[in-house]
Amino acid sequence: MARGKAKDGDGNWKKFIWNSEKKELLGRTGGSWFKILLFYVIFYGCLAGIFIGTIQVMLLTVSEFEPKYQDRVAPPGLTQVPQVQKTEISFTASDPRSYEPYVRNLDNFLRDYSDEQQTENIVFQDCGDTPTEYKERGPYNDGQGQKKVCKFKREWLDNCSGLNDPTYGYKDGKPCILVKLNRIIGFKPQAPANESLPPEIMAKYNPNLIPVHCVAKREEDADKIGTVEYFGMGGYPGFGLQYYPYYGKLLQPRYLQPLVAVQFTNLTYDVEVRVECRAYGQNIVYSDKDRFQGRFDIKFDIKSS
Amino acid sequence: MFPDPGSLGNKNSSSLMLCSLLSTSELEMKYGTSIDKGLSSARAAEILARDGPNALTPPKATPEIVKFLKQMIGGFSILLWIGAGFSWISFGIHNYKEASRSHQLYLGVVLALVVILTGIFAYYQEAKSTNIMASFSKMIPQVRATVDNSSLTGESEPQSRSCDFTHENPLETRNIAFYSTTCVEGTATGIVINTGDRTIIGRIASLASGVGNEKTPIAIEIEHFVYLVAGVAISIGVLFFIISVSMRYKILDSIIFLIGIIVANVPEGLLATVTVSLSLTAKRMAKKNCLVKNLEAVETLGSTSIICSDKTGTLTQNRMTVAHLWFDNQIYSADTSEDQTTQPFDQSSPTWTALSKIVTLCNRAEFRPGQENLPIMKRVVVGDASETALLKFSEVILGDVMSIRAQNRKVAEIPFNSTNKFQLSIHETDDPQDKRFLLVMKGAPERILERCSTIMINGKEEPLDSEKAEAFQTAYMELGGMGERVLGFCHLYLPENEFPETFQFDTDSMNFPTSNLCFVGLLSMIDPPRSTVPDAVSKCRSAGIKVIMVTGDHPITAKAIAKSVGIISATSETVEDIAKRLNIPVEQVNRREATAAVVNGMELKDMSSEQLDEILRNHTEIVFARTSPQQKLIIVEGCQRQGAVVAVTGDGVNDSPALKKADIGIAMGIAGSDAAKNAADMVLLDDNFASIVTGVEEGRLIFDNLKKTIAYTLTKNIAELCPFLIYIIASIPMPIGTITILFIDLGTDIIPSVALAYEKAESDIMNRRPRNKRRDRLVNQQLAVYSYLQIGIMQSVGAFVTYFTVYAEQGFLPSTLLGVRVNWENNAINDFEDSYGQQWTHYQRMYLQWTGYTAFFVSITIQQVADLIIRKTRRNSIFRQGLFRNKVIWVGIFSQIGIALILTYGLGHVTALNFTPLR
Repeated sequence: MARGKAKDGDGNWKKFIWNSEKKELLGRTGGSWFKILLFYVIFYGCLAGIFIGTIQVMLLTVSEFEPKYQDRVAPPGLTQVPQVQKTEISFTASDPRSYEPYVRNLDNFLRDYSDEQQTENIVFQDCGDTPTEYKERGPYNDGQGQKKVCKFKREWLDNCSGLNDPTYGYKDGKPCILVKLNRIIGFKPQAPANESLPPEIMAKYNPNLIPVHCVAKREEDADKIGTVEYFGMGGYPGFGLQYYPYYGKLLQPRYLQPLVAVQFTNLTYDVEVRVECRAYGQNIVYSDKDRFQGRFDIKFDIKSS
Repeated sequence: MFPDPGSLGNKNSSSLMLCSLLSTSELEMKYGTSIDKGLSSARAAEILARDGPNALTPPKATPEIVKFLKQMIGGFSILLWIGAGFSWISFGIHNYKEASRSHQLYLGVVLALVVILTGIFAYYQEAKSTNIMASFSKMIPQVRATVDNSSLTGESEPQSRSCDFTHENPLETRNIAFYSTTCVEGTATGIVINTGDRTIIGRIASLASGVGNEKTPIAIEIEHFVYLVAGVAISIGVLFFIISVSMRYKILDSIIFLIGIIVANVPEGLLATVTVSLSLTAKRMAKKNCLVKNLEAVETLGSTSIICSDKTGTLTQNRMTVAHLWFDNQIYSADTSEDQTTQPFDQSSPTWTALSKIVTLCNRAEFRPGQENLPIMKRVVVGDASETALLKFSEVILGDVMSIRAQNRKVAEIPFNSTNKFQLSIHETDDPQDKRFLLVMKGAPERILERCSTIMINGKEEPLDSEKAEAFQTAYMELGGMGERVLGFCHLYLPENEFPETFQFDTDSMNFPTSNLCFVGLLSMIDPPRSTVPDAVSKCRSAGIKVIMVTGDHPITAKAIAKSVGIISATSETVEDIAKRLNIPVEQVNRREATAAVVNGMELKDMSSEQLDEILRNHTEIVFARTSPQQKLIIVEGCQRQGAVVAVTGDGVNDSPALKKADIGIAMGIAGSDAAKNAADMVLLDDNFASIVTGVEEGRLIFDNLKKTIAYTLTKNIAELCPFLIYIIASIPMPIGTITILFIDLGTDIIPSVALAYEKAESDIMNRRPRNKRRDRLVNQQLAVYSYLQIGIMQSVGAFVTYFTVYAEQGFLPSTLLGVRVNWENNAINDFEDSYGQQWTHYQRMYLQWTGYTAFFVSITIQQVADLIIRKTRRNSIFRQGLFRNKVIWVGIFSQIGIALILTYGLGHVTALNFTPLR
């Protein structure tokens, strides 16, 4: 930065900062600094203009209703509520404070699923109590205004709805979790082919259902997991196809994704039990790298005291 | 080789003088030896034990391991080690706290690998360049001229040795022979008075190694550059460390940011690139006969502002050649070029026929047999320099000299000696009718003239009157004034009646006339300048380089050569010239008016350093004549006091201190001694001054090209740094990963930046002044500002457009990205919502983030291609420089694109590298 002169001696640095004879600040006169400043203001101004302009042009090429590409987001992930750090649910049944965060998390999540939230008929549509075909709602644009959304009745979740038991079974050591498939615009999950399914699911098979099933992650935990209860639409342990495809935030701002509640009624206390839940469907795949794609695993550690 | 006496310099010369003064018996006493028997073996063993073998202590070499470690921790390496250390520390802590975060471990390993690999590479390059040198000294045949003291004093005339003490200076006295000199002729017995390092040459060698090894300008520049970049890296790193801590980032995260910023800022590949560029240039220079020992010296030559050049062999052809003739009252000039095949002057006069006969016959030099196919000028001759010149001269004009000599059988001869200063021979003539003997004589012109009573004009003998003697004097003065060595030639046909065919000539009693001869002509000889030199000197001039001639020769000869090669230009005058022109005493001349100066070694001896400085400052054209090699050191130091970068040529052992002291020492490959070659930074394989100028051009070119390389390399640093800064401040998903940055620095950018070293010179390269060491830095304000604040910012903007495009097309519009960092990176959140309401798992986000890295990477790579084309030129326009002249650039561009393709599509599935295929 020094224009040579300032380096002559170390004692000169003060003079370098402010040279009163030449009225130079840091080796330049005010005029010179002004010109430099002006140059950079204009230069960066133009650059910023170009940047914003390019971004705007780029945004013009992107539709506001559906993303250009979806190869990174599909196939969908499967997630649970309550959402927990390190996917571990750990509490003591006798201590309400230990499970309070989970309960609050579930409460918050289910607020949108309450009946009083689903009254407006202009938004909501009754899609029946049993799984049926996909509900196509026309093109992905607002030519016809907003799209309707299928209702999801909270009472379908039964013991896990929080309507009867505001602690979702946690106070009895029978924790509930909610399972949901990640929203992806236009994604139509396909019901699984019969033969590949675990026998428990086959009992409640429906051709328009994406079933969800939870088992012990490790073989040796199989006896520790106890009974698993599933609550979903119309008593089916899965997601009905009439909730798909999703039309996006703009067209379906109040979209309710279908849920399945899973209650573990007889978990062994005081040991870590790892549970893996999967959704089954022909276009729902699992990946070794992404442990949340089409499945997830969660750890229970219920302490007896 | 002689074992030799002692030391030089004033302190010790007294004891030495004592030795040279002592008589033989006293010497025998002093050294406990005897002339006939030598030392007793017991005594010899004792002395050997005391003094060690008679060999020079080799200069202390740095152990290889130290050199290697220096490469490992020098420059940016230390910064990268710190980065690696931090990565491991943070990995250690992470590992303790939570399970799988091997990313930091990888990063640390990669950084360490980078340092080690570049270190090994640089070490290898250095080692390679040393090897070139070693093999070279074996290659050159040791053509030590058959001369004795030349390795020591640089004087090429053989000197006689005797038992007489002739001079107080041990170097001058005749009764001491020196270590490392060779005996040309004769036998002598001597007493060893000193061995090994205590000999004169040992003294000089230790003096040479005592002269500190100055840092080369490019080393200083690179150091300056490293400090600059390291300073920027550390200050930005620390600044953002503080910012991120105060923005409530975790300390550990802040440390990771710090590593990122350091890695982004440090041009990892640059030092390796510089080394490669230098060695490429060194190779190119070796092809042009400049062998570079020390890679960095390549550039030093380019910043040279003064060249102190030897005369003999460097500026001149190092062989006597006939330059002028005088006969028939007229001076003729002869062709002195290296590859003459004919002589153009008028050869019709009968005087010339007579003269040529004398030249041919009165000559003892002969061609070595078996060289008939070689050009005359290249043939090896047995005989001294003047005779060789005359032999070649007559061979060129007359053809087969040996057969002419055979036809004119020699019957008697008196060889040249220093007392009578002439050479004489008597021949039968080749005309069978003519039974007379021909006496021919050559020698110092005034001595020859004394013996003549007539002079040949147009083939006719005319009496030598005062008018003709005057003409002779004028011609003699004129030729002598041109610095030429003049010889006179005369002959005499011995009358047949007095000297019949059977006459026995006796050279001891001289039973034949040696006076009243007929003077025929003069020939003058000079060691002519090399034909390429004048052009090279004028190139130096236009390049702002001052050429100073330093020679042991006579001032007149030195000045004449200086004038003929342009070191002293035609129009400039010395103080003496002005005095002569104005006809006033030298003291009255205004010294400022004289641009040229010829300084005698004797004057130099009495000068103070201020006076020398004044001469060096005030005169642009300087010749130092009659200098001793020691004075070279003084001259070099004087030049360096002026702030100049000084190149010095030298060949003798005595030159080695000056060669060391100089910013760049240039040793002569053919005439140079090993000591000089060792002390030098560069060796001129053909001893030719013009090669230095080529070297200068290459040196300037490499400086220019390094500037281009650095500018190219620095530019992307901003594009690598901005993502971190914006990531920290705006909390957007990370635009580019640390490892990706390393792939740019060490992958795609390496070949293009080396390719810039192949860039051709711009048109003004030899028309600008040499760079000023203090002002014209390798990395200066303009370069840094232009790279960082202008092109670099533009590049960042471009890369960010790509980044935002990738995210927007995948569902994250720019507005959604701001401030998402914490949730984005939280691996417990697997339903992260994008702008469209879609939900993303953590891995999907990371995969998108790597896609972003890859896109950012590709964007920088593509912009670097454009940058490469911008950087091709600094002054010329791209059209003038030509887009396709440097083909290597295109190799660079294609390699860049190729590597990027391989990384994105080939390695897209290796998780650790964070590359993903792009569409």
